Parts: sequence; structure tokens; C-alpha cells
Amino acid sequence: MICYLCLKPIKEDTTWSNFLTPQYRTICDRCEDKLEQIPHPHCPKCMKPTTDQKCNDCLRWEQHFGQDPLERNVSIYTYNEYMKDLIARFKYRGDYEIINAWKKSVRTAFNEQFKNQNFSIVPIPLGEDRHSIRQFNQAEAIATLLTEPIHQILTRQDGQKQSKKSRRERVFSNNPFQITQKPPKSILLIDDIYTTGTTIRQAASLLKEKGAEQVESLTLIRS
Amino acid sequence: MKTTPPLIEDLARRFSTKLLLKQELNLSEHRFQYLIAHQLIERVPGISSTLNFHQCNRCLNKNQILFGKIPQPNSKPIIYCKKCIQMGRVSTKEPLYRWTGPMPMRHNVANPLKWRGILTPLQEKASLKMVEAVNNQSNLLIYAVCGAGKTEMLYAGIQEAIKQDKRVCIATPRADVVRELAPRLRRDFPTIHSAALYGGSTERDLNNHLVIATTHQLLRYENSFDIMVVDEVDAFPYHRDKTLPKAVTRASKPNSTQIYLTATPRRSHKVQIATKQMPTVSIPSRYHGHPIPTPTFQAILRLNDSLEKDKIPTKITHWINEKQTNNRRFLLFAPTIQLAESLAEKLDMPYVHAESPDREYLIKQFRARNFESLITTTILERGVTFPSIDVAVIQADHHVFDEAALIQIAGRAGRSANDPTGDVTFFYEYKTNAMIQARNYTIIKNKEAKRCTV
Repeated sequence: MICYLCLKPIKEDTTWSNFLTPQYRTICDRCEDKLEQIPHPHCPKCMKPTTDQKCNDCLRWEQHFGQDPLERNVSIYTYNEYMKDLIARFKYRGDYEIINAWKKSVRTAFNEQFKNQNFSIVPIPLGEDRHSIRQFNQAEAIATLLTEPIHQILTRQDGQKQSKKSRRERVFSNNPFQITQKPPKSILLIDDIYTTGTTIRQAASLLKEKGAEQVESLTLIRS
Repeated sequence: MKTTPPLIEDLARRFSTKLLLKQELNLSEHRFQYLIAHQLIERVPGISSTLNFHQCNRCLNKNQILFGKIPQPNSKPIIYCKKCIQMGRVSTKEPLYRWTGPMPMRHNVANPLKWRGILTPLQEKASLKMVEAVNNQSNLLIYAVCGAGKTEMLYAGIQEAIKQDKRVCIATPRADVVRELAPRLRRDFPTIHSAALYGGSTERDLNNHLVIATTHQLLRYENSFDIMVVDEVDAFPYHRDKTLPKAVTRASKPNSTQIYLTATPRRSHKVQIATKQMPTVSIPSRYHGHPIPTPTFQAILRLNDSLEKDKIPTKITHWINEKQTNNRRFLLFAPTIQLAESLAEKLDMPYVHAESPDREYLIKQFRARNFESLITTTILERGVTFPSIDVAVIQADHHVFDEAALIQIAGRAGRSANDPTGDVTFFYEYKTNAMIQARNYTIIKNKEAKRCTV
């Protein structure tokens, strides 16, 4: 077994418990230590670290929409320097299999927060141009870590990169998503990073408009 | 005579003798298609597979664990190489491109060497051997102690090669060494075109006379260099990673001259020296003629325990205080990043390791004498020169400090002719063979040096 991040073999002590029920680890202790889970206290709605009941971002979204189309976001990791390097390797260099390192934590987060609530998994889509360069959709890749069926009901028109726009531009840019079929009632959106929450809310508002009743999101990182 | 159009000449300079990804070509789609259609570039499969056994054609990786799969709807998964993914992804869908157009021209430089220093008789001997190797297209191993002045021994050979319109590469496993060598070579060969290549450097090699590169950067080359100088052949990762020597061979032309430089040859090279399979020239003395400092051993009872409990033994603090009162600058070597970090905190000194983000800056600052001491892991064990410093190794009995590492570390002291002596101290709990061998090495080399001068 090798660690999917540092590509070095994982040494593991043989104990009775892992001898009888073998569990294959996908990340070594050293690399796991460098990842930082989102600390407490945080905003209960979007997981931004804050001591307030609800963070300023979420209050602003409520002002913007009246009724926020997104009920809740759950993220796992912070966007620290190490994570920035990993995301560059994952998305821009295209190391697809890196997702396996996050398998356990993504599954745990899903099981604790969303299991058995009849959520349909919908990954945020990727525009065609970028898909043809990368050869995979990072949100879908993360979604495959869950052993649930995936509903690819959204499509996306390629636009300018989110990371090259200011906050104002992001919030007011046109909705890049289209929907291909009637959405299920409860939807769990999956994406890699929640930054301002604009992308997720663009998808959520479209889904609500077309008949979804509840939309939440699970993102790997809250930056 | 047919002349090449300027655009094609320009592209030839950028792409010839390299294996590049499409994004590295950095061409507009239109121009890219034009080059393909006119057979100026050709596709080389990124990954060769036979019976589900893969090989990466850039980094030559054959370790199957290091290949990844990207699932594709309605077709076979894409196989990609994880080992060299930092240089951009090579996969079954992402081929490499090879220039097949006319070879670029290089302008001739009649007398490139502007260095006016004088070589010692021993350096002169090695220098002549290298010129001979350049002319005969043969190989040479230069076995020279730390501080022998290896770089200057190469000058005559490089000059000879450039005069003959040959292309020279100086490769080394360490990026810090590239950053140190490049400015020196540029100062002494001011009229030639050169490029310094390492992960993160912005320079480009446009069929230059001289390329100074990390061995990893050579993964982008094939049949490119007439003279291949590999500095510090015994250093990590070159001696551990079987694919890097292959990459060096591929980057060299078929009839090239290979020059290997080392102060601490590994077993395979020692065997080649002993059986005379590899022409060797041995330089046992430093350029300033003074002996190499012999390490002092300082045993400390329960050293490992006290370091674990975050206590620094008094013998070590004494050593540091003594240096500070005498205004001596020093390097402290620690076996692990964690120890380097905790020492730095307690002693209030800066520290560097392979992953520190400000590594380049700190080394520069230390070199500029902006601080008196620096704590480091083995990354500074070789290649870098700071004049007149003392060195201490904390936990010299740790397994990362093998014989070669300790010899190299001891070789950091007494580099300057104005201050040729230096203090080298090993702090340890249990004496190891590596420590004894390192001390024997300095004693033997110093004896050999005496015999040479008499």
C-alpha cells in the first residue's frame, strides 16, 4: 500500500484487529497531519470559522436572495498551504487518484451529516473545454468516493475561471448552469472548494427554481 | 545552401532535442497543427504499455504502483504517470512531442573563458584529463575531496568543448547546487549562452552552449549534449533512483563525453575505480593545500533522551557559546526536520529544510553574513560553499548521516584560503561505523595529499 499523497509505502503495525479485518489505508500519518480539518467554532451554516451564530457571508446571502437557496454547506478541510499544493496537483496537473487519500474523511462526513436522508448526489459539472484538458471532473471524482448513485443532471457553459474574478463579479455573473431533467426533491451538491459559495448557490437556485425542495452541499474544502 | 526561415529556426531552438508535452510547446492550436501537418514535430506515446505493463516515456518509470487510472465513460481508462506529474501529466491521451525539423544553428565563441585564476598542479592534472576526454569522447571520473576546486577543473574542458561547437551540460541532483554554480560559470564564461534549469526556474534553454540543470530537468531531453558532466553523482536522489542515470544517458548524444564528479563515491563507482573500468583522476588535497579538518567526536550520555525531552545538553550549548564569543559563523546539522525545528525554537536561530518555503532566501542571507548561524537538515551537506564556517552535527549517530553525508558535512568547514582550518564536531550517543569511516577518510586523504606535494 502506498500513500496517495507522498507516494511512499505506508508502514503499518500488524495487530489482531487489522489482521482480522484488513483496512487498506490510503494516506500516511505524516501526510494526514499536514491536512487541517475545519476547527471549532464555525458558522453552523457554511462552516466558516467564526464565533458568531451565523457568519457575515451567510447573512449577506440571505439579504441578496431573501430566502437563501442553499440550506447548508458541510466542508472537511481548510485551504492551508499544503492543501493549495494538493489542489494544484489534483486539478491543474491532473493527478486524479489523489482523491483516494480523502476517501475516509469524505465518507465519514457524509455518513455523519447526510446518510439516510434521501439525498440525491449531484456533482457540480465542469465545462466541456476544461473537461477535455483535465479528462475528469473533480467534483464528480469526489462524489465517486461515496458509494451512492450519482445524478449528473446539470451541465455548464464554459466561462471565465472563478479564481480570476473579484467577489462582486462572481456574485453577479450570469448563471452558467443548465438542467437536463426534473430534479429530485432533496439534493446534495458536491464540489471541491467552497470559497464565496457563489457557484454552489447558482446551481442551488436553478435547482430550486425547477422544483427541488431542499439543497445542501458537501465540499472538500472551505477556504 | 538552403537557409531555414527565421520562424522555423526559432522553433527549432526551442524544441530540438527535447521531449515536451503539448502545453510545454506553448503554441497556438493553428501553429501546432501546422507543425504536425508539415512533419516538423512528431508524436511520441507518453506511456508505452505491453500486456498491461506500463512505462512512462518521459521519466522512464516502470514501477507499476506509480501509474494512475482516470476512468472514462464508454472507453478504457486513461493511464497516467504519477512519478513525474509535477512536470505536467504524461498519459495514454497526452503524448510527448519531438522536433523533427532542421537542427538549429549556434553561434561560435572563439575564446569563451575569461577566468584568470591559476590551477594547482593537481587541478591542472584533472583539467588536462578532462580536455583529453572531451577530445577522445571518452569518460572520466574525477574523485576529488570537498573543497578541491572541482568547478575550476572543468573550465578548460568546457572551453575546449565550446570551441568545437559542442553542447555542454552540468547536471547535479540538487537545485541549491545549480543556483550556486550558475552565477560562477556565467561570471567566468560571460560571452556564451547558458541556462540554469531547476524546478521553478524561469530560464529557457534555446539550444544554448551550456545548460546547468538538476538531473530531474534532464527528463525533458534526448540526444542533446556532447559533454555531460554529472556533479555529485553519489547524491540523493540520483544514486537511489534508477531512472535518473538512464535519463542522463538519454539526454546525452551517442558519442558523448561523460564526466562524473564526486568526493564520496558509492560502491559501484569504487568497484569501477579499483578494476580500472573507469578512467579516474584522484585529487586528495584542497585547492589551498591545507588539510581537511578532521572531525572531533563528542559523546553525550543520553543525548537522544534529552533531545526528545526538548533539553539541549550543556556540551552543545557550550560549543555554540564558544563560537558566538569568538565571532565564528557556524552550521548546525540536524537529522530530521522536527529536530531542526525544535532546536531553532530553543536556540532562536533560523533553520532550513527541503520543504521550507523561504529556503533560497535564508541560504542567501546566511551567505551574505546577515546572520551568524543556521540550522539545517542534510540539504546543505554538499555543493554549497560558505567561506570560513564551523560545523556541528547533532545526533551524528542517526541513520541519515551515512559515511558520505558525514564526509560532505565535514567538507563544509575550512573552505577559504584565508581561513583554511575549521572546527567539525560530531555530537552523538553511540559511535557508528559511518562516523569512524568519515574520520578515517579525512586522515587517509590528508596523508595522500602530503605524499602528492612532497
